[in-house]
Amino acid sequence: MRVLTPRRLWASLAALAVLLLAAGAGALAAGPSALSLGEVWSTLTGGDASPAAADIVLRVRLPRALLAMAVGASLAVAGVLFQALLRNPLADPFVLGVSGGAALGGILALSLGAGLGLGYAAVPPAAFAGAVLATLLLYAVAGARGRLSATHLLLTGVVFNAFASAAIVFLASLAGLGEGAGIFLWLVGSLSAARADVVGWVGLFLVLGLACALPLARGLNLLTLGDETAAQLGLEVERHKKILLFSTSLMVGAAVSAAGLIGFVGLIIPHLLRLVLGPDHRLLVPAAGLGGAAFLVLCDTVARLFPGGRELPVGAITALVGGPLFLGLLRRQQARIFVP
Amino acid sequence: MGAVWSRRTTALALVLLAAAARADEAPPRIVSLNPSITATLLALGAGSTLVGVDEYSARQQPEVEALPTVGGLFNTSLEAVVALAPDFVLLVPSAEQRDLRGRLEALGIEVVALPNIRLEDLLASIERLGRIAGCEAAARTRVAEIRRAWRRVEKARAGTPARRTVLVLQRDPLFVVGRGSFLDSMLEAAGAENPAAVFEEAYPRVSLEWLLATAPEVILDASEDPPEASRYWARWPSLPAVAAGRVAALPARQVTLPGPYLERGLQTLVRALDGMAAP
Repeated sequence: MRVLTPRRLWASLAALAVLLLAAGAGALAAGPSALSLGEVWSTLTGGDASPAAADIVLRVRLPRALLAMAVGASLAVAGVLFQALLRNPLADPFVLGVSGGAALGGILALSLGAGLGLGYAAVPPAAFAGAVLATLLLYAVAGARGRLSATHLLLTGVVFNAFASAAIVFLASLAGLGEGAGIFLWLVGSLSAARADVVGWVGLFLVLGLACALPLARGLNLLTLGDETAAQLGLEVERHKKILLFSTSLMVGAAVSAAGLIGFVGLIIPHLLRLVLGPDHRLLVPAAGLGGAAFLVLCDTVARLFPGGRELPVGAITALVGGPLFLGLLRRQQARIFVP
Repeated sequence: MGAVWSRRTTALALVLLAAAARADEAPPRIVSLNPSITATLLALGAGSTLVGVDEYSARQQPEVEALPTVGGLFNTSLEAVVALAPDFVLLVPSAEQRDLRGRLEALGIEVVALPNIRLEDLLASIERLGRIAGCEAAARTRVAEIRRAWRRVEKARAGTPARRTVLVLQRDPLFVVGRGSFLDSMLEAAGAENPAAVFEEAYPRVSLEWLLATAPEVILDASEDPPEASRYWARWPSLPAVAAGRVAALPARQVTLPGPYLERGLQTLVRALDGMAAP
């Protein structure tokens, strides 16, 4: 295994930051409307661009690129953390029931909220509440005996997700939801709801999650050796796990409530970076943040460009790109892929 | 024995013929699976032919509240439909009900699919409903009324400048009226230019960026939440429609439902446009 020197750490992160900046610049420059690069530049520098061009660049493309960055970073970091905590390479941000909780919260808001005069705007807060409740349930069930075992966590998450999707189908057919179409669009994941305040919320929870995860990155390295080994090496295993699981679930909940279920970012980016950069979480956690942000910005740019003026959900793009990429990686690197 | 048999056969045939004749006179038993079809039958005075409706119809039309319901678009109950012993099941062609349609037909129930996108299809559907429900005269009158309203509007609006007008169906995510639907025909009759006709779909989902770049001169917002419309669009003052105050909320139910009173939707739309033309 390559040793992680400070130089390698900063060089890798700088390279990823450059990639992210390039992806962000591409997202601002490219779109379905024919703005020239000069016009884009003058809107950014406060030059004399037309009001329409300014709106397009600063109020449509910019918040969307920022939301893509925040959501992509949240999902990829959550993927790294869950894969380490659960010692399972298949863990993705949604595996612990956060997706099911969020979707259930969202559809409850749609099916019951109509009677209370709530519209589609009630979905994101309700989805976030659902994600938080699902996490609390996870603790209550899997942590019943004072310690969180990976097997119990995974089983609880998988069963809760299955229960939630059954409940969603039940509610959708009970309510005869015309709004059902809305919830299914939301389940695919899209960044079209990007607004400054939404970006702020997702960013806040991303910072919170990173603030919990980065100081514990060394501990994560030990955790991948197994709970007992880590404890013998002096790690407060249960406390670490609880802090990380909760902050990560909040982070995923915020991302999901803003952008729906965008698949594959949290699965493929951690694996890709682990192959390239090695398994040290002191590098892997921040690298996943930058890499996930860049990947989702790129995918969303493709989603916006693809069929000229029509909107395509970015979740479809990440799945179309991510699925084959993941299988290809798996085939080439079968022996080397991370199996903790 | 042969003679007995033939007498019996003759008797049976007579009974059957009599039954058939009665069936011809009796109104057909109809199950409607779409609110616009239900509304059309009621408008034609053929409400008594309905023996069952879908949930949306029951919710929207007080006249059919008491009728048995057979589920909604995604969850129509085959058994509930069959139990009503309908002569016709009427629906709008859709991917959701393709399977249901096949299964009803396999059970020998006649299913009539009435397309509801294009204006001409809708008018043909009204006439077809008239034939099915035995009220052809009322259907012909209704269609003539709609055509007359269309011609009147075309004539009245002939001199007005063709403004680039976007008809919004839903704001978030953004759906607008594209090419070919009866709503596109309304815009055309009103002398408006529909820039979203570049999309081939009837109701495309478009990006906000497309709308900003297209810079429509008029925005007609027929989404579910009219009071919010002006506040929502005020966020985009760079849109010429917003800058010139040419944004109007239309009542969604009245304008966008492909029902029997299309001329009322057209008139509402034209009133909104006329209101803007005044300085």
